[in-house]
Amino acid sequence: MNKTVSIILTLGLIVVIGIIFIGGDSKKENANRVESAQGVEIKDGVQYVTINARGGYFPKVSSAKAGIPTKLIMKTSGIYDCSASLVIRAIDFQKILPPTGETEIDLGIPKAGVPLQGVCGMGMYSFVINFS
Amino acid sequence: MLKTYTFHVTGTHCASCKILIEDILSEQKSVKKVRVNLKKETVDIETDSEQNPEELAELLTSKVKPNGYTLNVVRQDLTTGGGGVIWQAIPIGLVFLALFFILQKSGILNLGIGGQTTPATGFIIGLIASVSTCLAIVGGLVLSLSVKISQDNVSDTKTFLLFHTGRLISFAVLGGVLGLIGNAIGINFTFTAILGLVASMVMLLLGLNLVGVFAKNKITLPSTIFQKVFSVFRKIEHKTFTPLLVGFGTFFLPCGFTQSMQVAAIGSGSFMSGFLIMFAFALGTLPMLAVLSFGSASFAHGKHAPLFFKSTGIVVIGLGIFALLSGLAGLGIINPLFSI
Repeated sequence: MNKTVSIILTLGLIVVIGIIFIGGDSKKENANRVESAQGVEIKDGVQYVTINARGGYFPKVSSAKAGIPTKLIMKTSGIYDCSASLVIRAIDFQKILPPTGETEIDLGIPKAGVPLQGVCGMGMYSFVINFS
Repeated sequence: MLKTYTFHVTGTHCASCKILIEDILSEQKSVKKVRVNLKKETVDIETDSEQNPEELAELLTSKVKPNGYTLNVVRQDLTTGGGGVIWQAIPIGLVFLALFFILQKSGILNLGIGGQTTPATGFIIGLIASVSTCLAIVGGLVLSLSVKISQDNVSDTKTFLLFHTGRLISFAVLGGVLGLIGNAIGINFTFTAILGLVASMVMLLLGLNLVGVFAKNKITLPSTIFQKVFSVFRKIEHKTFTPLLVGFGTFFLPCGFTQSMQVAAIGSGSFMSGFLIMFAFALGTLPMLAVLSFGSASFAHGKHAPLFFKSTGIVVIGLGIFALLSGLAGLGIINPLFSI
């Protein structure tokens, strides 16, 4: 193989890998915005933020209100991948979620401007909840 | 009685190397005749020594080592051979990396498996896990170690068999223990994450070594820290016990599937059911890992070995970086940089 051809191929492939990692998110984010509106609801003065775990966390970014008691609900259905092993450092939470079911996590009363981040045990899936 | 041996020599760059090596080696008492072939990178030695070729190579290497040459019974220049190979290896390695990440992103692997975890579902989950992101850590580690072992030309088949046996047995037994005590040993996230970081470092080191980054520096920098690490590594990796231990260690490597199975084993409530679930899971991961280790062995002894080593090096470096960044994010040290 010619060296120049290889360099061109290499650059092309780096772009492809870059797109896999970073790109393709714009579509997802639009979907997320819709979902995030549905994922947050307030019932009897308690705010519930619902996040689905399955090959990642959806919605990836949620927006919720600060200053009211908040509970995070992790929904799982037949999952065994990394998203089942959830770590939320800020509240010192780490647990393997049941393959199917709902896990309620008390977030206390979140402060405005302090986002809450959750990652899976291996670190390649994550989600953020912004409080305002 | 005179015997003639042919050794492979590394480090010969110039025409005068031939003269230098011949001078040094012919000073040895036991050596009667030396002939260096620069083109083939071999040294023919006529000797009356009773030592076997391996000992002889070691002895003679100690004489020429200060000048940067090494004699070997088998060819050792597989990583350094052919500077042009790297230009073919980079695109090949990147293609495999791209395919791997596309597979992850596609979501094919996120199929839900409902119901209770039985040994049968454990087996299926093992099959899925072996091509999932867990492959980045467990598979990357297996691949890099396998290639390294094949490259060093020790009895690789035996080492691989020991590794896979160790893995199957320790998964089954640890699964049984989890089922028996019903408690979470080995499911400390920080511990597995740190172990994952160590694994990714090993992958990066081995990957760079396969690509030949260190091999080039060997002559000018004879005692870098990396090389010391490597020599320690080389000493331990060949012992019978080590492959078994590495197989055992994969139980604790960060992999969501493994962790879910561990929880299933805990919940199973008895030694036997925990044993069966984890054994079935490990059995499910076996085909892919066996392909990686035995496949690399057959490539390593084939015609395209230099290309294979370098391409594998690229793949392993890529997976190593991925595992490292994920591990750091998992520990909360850096923000998650990506999400696939």
